[in-house]
Amino acid sequence: MTGGYDTTCPRPPAAISDYGLLGDTRTAALVAGDGGIDWLCVPRFDGEPLFGRLIGGPDAGTFRVGPARPATVVERRYRQYTATLETTWAVGSSRLTLTEGMVAEVTGRLLPTTLIVRRLSTDEAAVDAVVEFDPRFGVRHRRPRIHQRREALVCQWGSLAVSLGSAPTLDIEPGRPTLITVRPGRPVTLVLAVAHREPLIHVEPASAWQLLTEDEDRWRAWTVDIDRSLPFREHVVRSLLTLRLLTYSPSRAPVAAPTTSLPEDAGGVRNWDYRYVWPRDASIGVSAFLSVGKADEARGFLAWLLHASRLQRPRLPALLTLYGRHVPAEREVPGWPGYLGSVPVRIGNSAAGQHQLDGYGWVTDAAWAFAQAGHRLSSETWRAVRGFADVVTRCWQEPDAGIWEVREPAQHVHSKLMGWLALDRALRIADTHPLADRQRRRWQKARDAIAAEVRTSGFNPTTGSYVRRYGSEGLDAALLVLPLLNIDSVDSPRVHGTIDAIRDTLSAGGPLLYRYPPGRDGFPGTEGAFLPCSFWLVQALARTGRRTEAVELFQTMLDHASPLGLYAEELDPATGAHLGNYPQTLTHAALVQAALAIRDAPTS
Amino acid sequence: MDWAGWALFGLVATAVLTAVLITAQLAGLTRLDFPLVLGTLVTEDPDRARVVGFFMHLCAGQGFALGYAATFALLHRATWWIGALLGTIHVGVALTLLLPLLPGVHPRMASQRAGPASRAVLEPPGLFAVNYGIQTPAVVAVVHVLYGVVLGLLLQAK
Repeated sequence: MTGGYDTTCPRPPAAISDYGLLGDTRTAALVAGDGGIDWLCVPRFDGEPLFGRLIGGPDAGTFRVGPARPATVVERRYRQYTATLETTWAVGSSRLTLTEGMVAEVTGRLLPTTLIVRRLSTDEAAVDAVVEFDPRFGVRHRRPRIHQRREALVCQWGSLAVSLGSAPTLDIEPGRPTLITVRPGRPVTLVLAVAHREPLIHVEPASAWQLLTEDEDRWRAWTVDIDRSLPFREHVVRSLLTLRLLTYSPSRAPVAAPTTSLPEDAGGVRNWDYRYVWPRDASIGVSAFLSVGKADEARGFLAWLLHASRLQRPRLPALLTLYGRHVPAEREVPGWPGYLGSVPVRIGNSAAGQHQLDGYGWVTDAAWAFAQAGHRLSSETWRAVRGFADVVTRCWQEPDAGIWEVREPAQHVHSKLMGWLALDRALRIADTHPLADRQRRRWQKARDAIAAEVRTSGFNPTTGSYVRRYGSEGLDAALLVLPLLNIDSVDSPRVHGTIDAIRDTLSAGGPLLYRYPPGRDGFPGTEGAFLPCSFWLVQALARTGRRTEAVELFQTMLDHASPLGLYAEELDPATGAHLGNYPQTLTHAALVQAALAIRDAPTS
Repeated sequence: MDWAGWALFGLVATAVLTAVLITAQLAGLTRLDFPLVLGTLVTEDPDRARVVGFFMHLCAGQGFALGYAATFALLHRATWWIGALLGTIHVGVALTLLLPLLPGVHPRMASQRAGPASRAVLEPPGLFAVNYGIQTPAVVAVVHVLYGVVLGLLLQAK
């Protein structure tokens, strides 16, 4: 029934930061504050959307469970140290609560690979609610073949099938809102199961709820051994949980974000597909997880890096699929309206073919961090690292696309510094691992040559700062990693000069920074402040003895998080709106590293 | 049956298969590494796993060679093309049955259903083992057909 529910009133698009993340470490859903799952790809992060309203508009499908009429969200939170999301609305004199999550641990049991559990409940008076189930599969928003079975509603598209069960049983029809009444003590539970190239497995709603509860216990246990001395621990744990939810468990690959084409410029063309894996993110994740005592996760990232890069070794691809394959060629999806009219919507990513020298530095540094933490590098790992160092030795003088993946290669100073880092860390590892003298001398020579060239061509003595490109005067916020490298001492005027110059010149107000001078990347439109850079600034300040400033800045950055503690890639400095794909692995990894730098900084 | 031929040429054919597979790996065509996959059944150290796995792979190769030798004996013919045909059947079974089923029994191989508690270090190969590189089915087909051709040429149908 639809009585009392206005089906003609379109739901306005929610702000990016209004979305919460549900995940099972294989795929993820984004849920708006009105209870609508507006994004879910199946069977994996990089699969096709089952619910795509976020970017594909109303025709792309949604699964909304919430109040029947507009209502105010009075509380929205993750249950502490879990991935279960709770949204409570004030409806008249009563309250309606939606508790939801995805079941992550399905191994060894007869359970569907993707299982979403959603429960509506009220503790006070009866509340009218609505279930709007409208699955549309793929880029063409295909409608399903529908079968109403005794235990559930089944929707099919060839090898993909979805079942929606409920308790009490509801008469749900895809595409038609169903009005229900939720009474105190009688919650309504909905269970969505997805089967891809396998039979559907029906799970009773009561059992599904129990599974979700068991999952919560597992997440709590996972967080128990995270370093208790961490500053801002609650926020760091949320970021670590987010990183883990965005890590594809079958291959241990950290996906950059679960979405495509959330715009860096609302209404503009800067819309990219981030449902792939950047070795840089995995490398930062290795250090982050190692430093909080999560060696298994760190080992998983490193294993993925080595396994995934195997096909193209010794060259390190800029990005890879979840299974380490070539990323599909970038293409535009016709007919998709985009988020807030931001078109084109893109699938695939053309940055995959770029030469990015900095990647070698991140990966080698991750291997060094792993070895330094007392873990032995296998001979294959060491062979791979040697191969990466050899590539840097051969190619460091070539222009590259840099960390920001500009489409015109240039002599990026940050890339050169990361090339230096690759060789320096490889040489350090070689102190305890076998290396031919000739190879060692070649690396040392290249490392020293990079340092000499960067100091002459990449440094502006007038401003006392390293610059973005050789011969330019522009700055690059990626240079904030300088204090981590030790190419210059952390007390060096070069390091302090660079940090201060970036802070002054690239400031977007408060703690926010642009990654480079806005509007100088060849794309039309503008972009927001780049959030990982702000956390790198915190880290740089903490590493250079300015702990108090670092703490203040970190605190301010926490105020910019979404209400659920999530971050996109960018933030509009004028409105505070999150921009870009969401939530973003790099931002959360940078947050963790910033907190670790504060932890390790001397307090005096 | 050609028992002496089986004892020697089974090893030769498996060595050829392994050598070509390693060459394909070095050429960046596939990430499939049979010694590593088999060796990690008993140890998680990749270096030791490769050594142990190499010998396990030789044993497995001997086992399959027994089937080839028996088939040649039954057909009273041993030619390179019958070997290639058997190799084609062999690779069909390996890609559609053996490799996709492996995550169910391999203690260190994740499945497509792996969750956060998984400590498995090896990726699941997936159907036709394409998770190990899109060219993996072609590489695996070539090495197994080669294995069959070697046995067809060297074994006798007695």
